[in-house]
Amino acid sequence: MTNLVYNEMLKVVRKKRLLIVASIIAVLVALFTYAQFRHVQDVQKRLGTSDWRTQLQQQIIDTQNRLNSSGLAEEWRKFLQIRLQQQQYYLDHDINPSAPGAPTFMRMFVENSIELFLPLMIMVVVADLVSSEASGGTIKLLLTRPVKRWKVLLSKYIAMLLSVSFIVLLLALLSYLISGAVFGYGGWNLPLLTGFTINGEELNTTNVHLIAQWKYLLVELSLAWFVSVVVGTLTFMLSVLMRSTAAVMGVMLAALISGAILSSMVSSWQSAKYLFMVNLSLTDYISGTAPPITGMTLGFSMSVLAVWGLVALFVSFIVFTKRDVY
Amino acid sequence: MNMNAVKIIALVSLIAGGCWLFGLGLTVYDQFFHGPTASLSKEIKPKETAVNEQQLHLVALGDSLTRGTGDETGKGYVGYTLDALRKKTKRPIQVTNLAIKGQQSTQLVTQIQKVEVQRQLRQADFVFMTIGGNDLFQGGEALRNFSRARIDEAKKVYLKNLDSVFRTIRAINPRAVVFYIGLYNPFNQLNNAKMTSAIVREWNYASAEVAARYPNIIAVPTYDLFELHVNDYLYSDQFHPNKEGYKLIGERVASLISFSKGGK
Repeated sequence: MTNLVYNEMLKVVRKKRLLIVASIIAVLVALFTYAQFRHVQDVQKRLGTSDWRTQLQQQIIDTQNRLNSSGLAEEWRKFLQIRLQQQQYYLDHDINPSAPGAPTFMRMFVENSIELFLPLMIMVVVADLVSSEASGGTIKLLLTRPVKRWKVLLSKYIAMLLSVSFIVLLLALLSYLISGAVFGYGGWNLPLLTGFTINGEELNTTNVHLIAQWKYLLVELSLAWFVSVVVGTLTFMLSVLMRSTAAVMGVMLAALISGAILSSMVSSWQSAKYLFMVNLSLTDYISGTAPPITGMTLGFSMSVLAVWGLVALFVSFIVFTKRDVY
Repeated sequence: MNMNAVKIIALVSLIAGGCWLFGLGLTVYDQFFHGPTASLSKEIKPKETAVNEQQLHLVALGDSLTRGTGDETGKGYVGYTLDALRKKTKRPIQVTNLAIKGQQSTQLVTQIQKVEVQRQLRQADFVFMTIGGNDLFQGGEALRNFSRARIDEAKKVYLKNLDSVFRTIRAINPRAVVFYIGLYNPFNQLNNAKMTSAIVREWNYASAEVAARYPNIIAVPTYDLFELHVNDYLYSDQFHPNKEGYKLIGERVASLISFSKGGK
């Protein structure tokens, strides 16, 4: 079994996909670091101070002003209202939610990439795991070996899990190392608030507690990993079902992008919350952002994702072991 | 590809996977089984940061006028005052604009109770404020269905709030100069101009009386600025000033501030 997994890992590494993913992440992180750097400078220049309390207070006032303008979409109003209460809570407790530093950048990067960017990277690596064997004809060679079919597929699945873990690690390391060059490498012990729950337009703070930034990051990265595993499993299933890697990528791409669009407009379509792509932003629950549909919670989203993942896994194995290969 | 590289990647991935799995356990524990913490509920006093003595702090409070609604450049009179002050002094100036569109005096009273707002006020050298426009006009409502009794009622509440705002500011910061910017009559050209103007004048007079009870609170009139060519100085909503209107107010406020040698 170990040899089979090793064999599959060898294929993944040989295709240089991990290298490509690493370079894409590095380029993007560098871009965002620069953008963030410019943003920080701009805010300092505009307000004439680097005092975060003044900056946060100004943000609160800006949000209040936006809330007072007419013609604001209902979902957006709710989102702003919840963010407003949260910012006020941070201010009242004298905690800076965005103290400069590589860990803070990492946190923002993970929060922003969990919904689309990270799943896309996973897709790039996983999409051809099985389908390339089918389209290249090597699947016959693979299946003529004296190894059970499910073992072949399992070794591929384990290789997928390993690659996903590796990509999340890459994301963490690269964003830390590159952004740290600009923002400094400190800030692991910064206290952050988590445990916000949202009831309609109100932010419930009874369960709010402080955790250190490193712990917060570990929580967010592991959620990103969870999302990646589910997306990876779904891609894996498509890869089993379809012979063409391009088709796998096309379907996944459509699903992921529709998820990003849907999240911003589904608030009135209740049953959309059972779609996997609306549930990808797990980190939003940790930071306390309003979910796309009322009533969605971390537990709910994780369960929906888990069910989708398990079904996909099940389908992959059934189809792969039963299918005729010619 | 080197065989060892594959082994290393596989091993690193395995460790990373274990780490994320552990993190997931931590997440579940932290998010689902964490009881409320008592220690957070108490209010924490922010530490005073060292104030740069050289720097001038301006704090602006109030409603849409201070916000600059109607000025397409977004500066508002605060911005124009600032431009003029920058010419007068070389000291760095920091502006904190805490004005909220549509704010009424009652909301301002609550706003200045906030810890951070008070901290800003404590550092302030100058405070600019406009308030009362929304109390009086309520978006034009009060003047359309004109009722003396209702306006008197609103005025009573407003004056009480204004007094409370001034008292709070003075208690927090006894030395800052407060510029209270008065109202103009945006309905100067309409049918019942005579009546609305009288109301605005009375309103301004009463506000100035309240301001006079406290040291260093200056009531700055704007009524005269808009009296003759009101339509030239109003934004298309016929209520807020436009860019030119804000410039007028800004110039007036800036002309009141001078930086003599040594003091302010």
